Amino acid sequence: MPTITFSRHDLCKLVGKKLNDEQLSSLLEKAKAEIAAVEGDEVIIKLNDTNLPCLWTVEGLAVYFRCLLGMEKGIPRLKLEKSNYTINVESSVKRVRPFIAAFIAKGKPVEEAFLKQLIQMQEKLCDNYGRKRSTASVGIYPSAKIHFPVTYTTADPRKTSFVPLEHRSEANLARILNEHPKGREYGRLLEGLSRYPILLSANREVLSFPPIINSAQFGKVSIGDTEMMVETTGTDERAVMLITNIFALALSRRGFKICPVRIKSGRSHQTPDLSTEKIRIDFNEVNKLLGLSLSPKEITSLLQKSMYGVKGNTVETPWFRDDVMHAVDVAEDIAIAYDYARITGANTKSHGPGALLSITQFCDKIRIIATGFGFEELFLPVLSSKTTLYDRMNIKDFDTVEISEYVSETYSCVRTWLLPGLVETLSRNRHVDYPQKIFEQGKVTVRKGDDTMDYDRIALASAHYRADFTEMKQCLDFIARLCGFGYELVEEEHDSFIPGRTGRIVVKGVKVGYIGDIHPKVLNNWGIETPVAAMELNLTELLSALGG
Amino acid sequence: MDLKKTAEGLHPLERKVLPVLESASEVSEICYATGLKEVEVMRALQWLQNKKIVALKTEIKEVITLDRNGRLYRERGLPERKFLEALQSKELPLEKLAEKTRLSREEVSAVLGLLRQKGAVLIIREKQKLVVKITDVGKKLLAEGLPEERFLNRDFPLIAAKLSPQEKDVLERLKKRKQIVSIQLKKERRAVLSELARQLIQYGVKDENIIDRITPEIIKGGRWKGKTFRRYDIKINVPSLYAGRLHNYRRYLDIVKQKFTALGFKEMTGPIVESDFWDMDALFMPQFHSARDIHQAYYVKEPKYAKIDSEIIKKVKASHENGFRTGSKGWRYSFDVQRTKRQLLRTQTTACSARMLASKELEIPGKYFAIARCFRYDVIDATHLPDFNQVEGIVVEEGLTLRHLFGLLKTFAVEFAETDKFKIVPGYFPFTEPSAELFIKHDQLGWLEIGGAGMFRPEVVVPLTGRNVSVLAWGLGLDRLAMIKLGIKDIRSMFTNDLSVLRNARMV
Repeated sequence: MPTITFSRHDLCKLVGKKLNDEQLSSLLEKAKAEIAAVEGDEVIIKLNDTNLPCLWTVEGLAVYFRCLLGMEKGIPRLKLEKSNYTINVESSVKRVRPFIAAFIAKGKPVEEAFLKQLIQMQEKLCDNYGRKRSTASVGIYPSAKIHFPVTYTTADPRKTSFVPLEHRSEANLARILNEHPKGREYGRLLEGLSRYPILLSANREVLSFPPIINSAQFGKVSIGDTEMMVETTGTDERAVMLITNIFALALSRRGFKICPVRIKSGRSHQTPDLSTEKIRIDFNEVNKLLGLSLSPKEITSLLQKSMYGVKGNTVETPWFRDDVMHAVDVAEDIAIAYDYARITGANTKSHGPGALLSITQFCDKIRIIATGFGFEELFLPVLSSKTTLYDRMNIKDFDTVEISEYVSETYSCVRTWLLPGLVETLSRNRHVDYPQKIFEQGKVTVRKGDDTMDYDRIALASAHYRADFTEMKQCLDFIARLCGFGYELVEEEHDSFIPGRTGRIVVKGVKVGYIGDIHPKVLNNWGIETPVAAMELNLTELLSALGG
Repeated sequence: MDLKKTAEGLHPLERKVLPVLESASEVSEICYATGLKEVEVMRALQWLQNKKIVALKTEIKEVITLDRNGRLYRERGLPERKFLEALQSKELPLEKLAEKTRLSREEVSAVLGLLRQKGAVLIIREKQKLVVKITDVGKKLLAEGLPEERFLNRDFPLIAAKLSPQEKDVLERLKKRKQIVSIQLKKERRAVLSELARQLIQYGVKDENIIDRITPEIIKGGRWKGKTFRRYDIKINVPSLYAGRLHNYRRYLDIVKQKFTALGFKEMTGPIVESDFWDMDALFMPQFHSARDIHQAYYVKEPKYAKIDSEIIKKVKASHENGFRTGSKGWRYSFDVQRTKRQLLRTQTTACSARMLASKELEIPGKYFAIARCFRYDVIDATHLPDFNQVEGIVVEEGLTLRHLFGLLKTFAVEFAETDKFKIVPGYFPFTEPSAELFIKHDQLGWLEIGGAGMFRPEVVVPLTGRNVSVLAWGLGLDRLAMIKLGIKDIRSMFTNDLSVLRNARMV
């Protein structure tokens, strides 16, 4: 989700109306923006709709607000000037970074505040919408110096050199990739390619090396420049066209004249491309979806407030939007323009009684029984480490689901059993009053061949001066008695427990858990100096053994 | 104060101790007089002090005991006596004194000094020789006994403060000599009676007619009749009890579950290890979406790919590529069928909703909810945990509208945040359109977002259910709601494994 900063004064100037706090926050809500911070005139907002980059610029927001406020109606118009600029696209870019779009903005000197907005616009659109420059990236040039036609082509990384921005001397493309900060940051986008994309002037001067860096000589806009070329290259044609249109909208709102550029590849087309898409909207369906009874006139007006063009049932989407896939997208805009605050709630029908899953009910019953014999419940993370689960518990690892790229070893796999979490808790509470009788009921995950399986389990541990097997077996007896099942203890060693003082709990022939005195070796591993008796039950398997 | 009430409230130990305090004030004396152990006496005195019946004073005392030489002299006589005895019959030359008295040279010179000071002996020069001679004072001392001898013969230990002025002088002299007496400082607690104590003793605190602990015998035989029950100090602090209890946050989740079932929701579930398919693709999140970068989710090593029915993949693939049969344009990109099977740890409970929609068990109309552990790739620090809990759910019914969604959100605000100060604002989720966010007004914290909701897009519903039924979908931020409900400001205290915190945590 992008965050942008703007001047409130600047926004009001672009809207053409003073906005009080309430009006501003209401409009921002409609734009799905949250105010993150306000510092004097400066407002920082977070934009939640990742699909609507036209609102990621203060100029775009201003256009939307003007429509919502009724100051403009329908699709914002943009008049393209007559011009004769051309970019020739060579076929070698097809395998590298195939798409380009551009325009020239002129007729006004660039001011400092606007330059800041321009740079922010470029960053947000390239980083977020352009997916860190991979699908689209933007270059801006003072175009007065550039000789057209410009050529978009590829070059040999070692044989092509120029002076990049923030650099003193000439370097070839390969060196720029290795040494320039931007080269290092975005170099991975060109990995494995033998030729890199470049933009050349009619004099064969290098204008830029997309998507890495512009030329220091031709690619740096300064305050006072009166002519700019905005160029977008990328791997996703729709993203390239959309970003170009969003820039054109923004610059036109700043009072620049927009001169299109002819892109000549196999075909020839002009950018920005202001053609719109049409979608048929059934007004009845809109009312049915929203639960409202709006007249066609009202819907038409709400659509125009949302920057749509309307002709009967046909809705035209603005040329700087690409997110409308279905009538529901349009319906939401109608609801937003109508105002969510005006829509009253209605009750859904009763569908009969609700219910918890039988395993949930079973787990809850056992939890209550456990508190009954004096145990305190824990709620621990599901993620753990092999050190905790196995090494420190003195057993070999088994059937573990591991995370491929973890942040911290402490949370590097999904737990396969619960007892280690309890022992770890005992270890961290050595300074707290004993007895410490604790339990946790929760899910574990184990690998089953090509599959994984979650089980609900419960583990109990008792740590105090006289903790032993007998106490645990009393607890087990109590659970068995209250749940109405019989069990058998089968002698079977488990290396976390003392040999001869541990066993498997078997119910109806199914092994559902283990019980015993924790081995001093394990206690030493955890720095625990108090005896610990423990048990763990697989409640999923127990419930199924009991026919639940 | 009511004397009767106070008397009836005395503990058996207090009853035993109080009467003897008139004659005994020191703990050791009280022990002796009552036959109680020191801890019992101390406990009784402490309680009596709490009730302002006695005052406990601590005194530091010098306790005198005999040291090695002291014990020896007491048994065998002081060197002064031996010295004087040797001189009794006749005077002796200085050099022969050691031999006659069987004292060491050192002792001889020390004792000689002492006796000269007392005027018990004289040294005179006779024919170039020094001769020692007993005086009349010396003879008298010998006959009546030395004050040092009388001191050594007393019962030790002695308390310095209780000695007579003469004895104190003796003690000072003995202290200067080697290993005769040893003095230790001892704390002694002493009880001082108040006026109330005297009244109580006079009133009578014998316990024949007061019942302390009620025993089966007392109940059975009716022996309690005509007797008084000891009154308890009910305001007294008792030791903390750490008994069995549910975890405060899990208990909160239990209540949330109960509320949902009461609202007619059925519980649903899903696996922790999910595939991209159910976690995101089935929810119409495009595979190129920035929220789906490798660093946003925990992908698992093995098993790397899930087994998923190819028919349903086909439909979801079509939905992404061209909108399937929904009239949507779709995302218009080439859907990666292998990638959709890639396994990760569930990032959102919405995965459970997607599975439910595709399940044969789905009932239309139906209401479902799930509370599930979810995992997001985040920097783990004091306030971020690797896993968190989400509650999500769906309402499936023909002809639902945005108004029904708002009605549901209002119910949630009232039921879960217990407030009618809420607002619903536009939101964005890739799988719902229209979408909304629910905010509640918190007295201190202002507007808080507590949930997101929307109507599932047809591109989600049609591939999974095979029909275009309306589905309301919502999720609530459990952690935030629990913090409001439990009055907790620090998220860490909810997920800690510190027992000293957990044992005292408030419960809903």
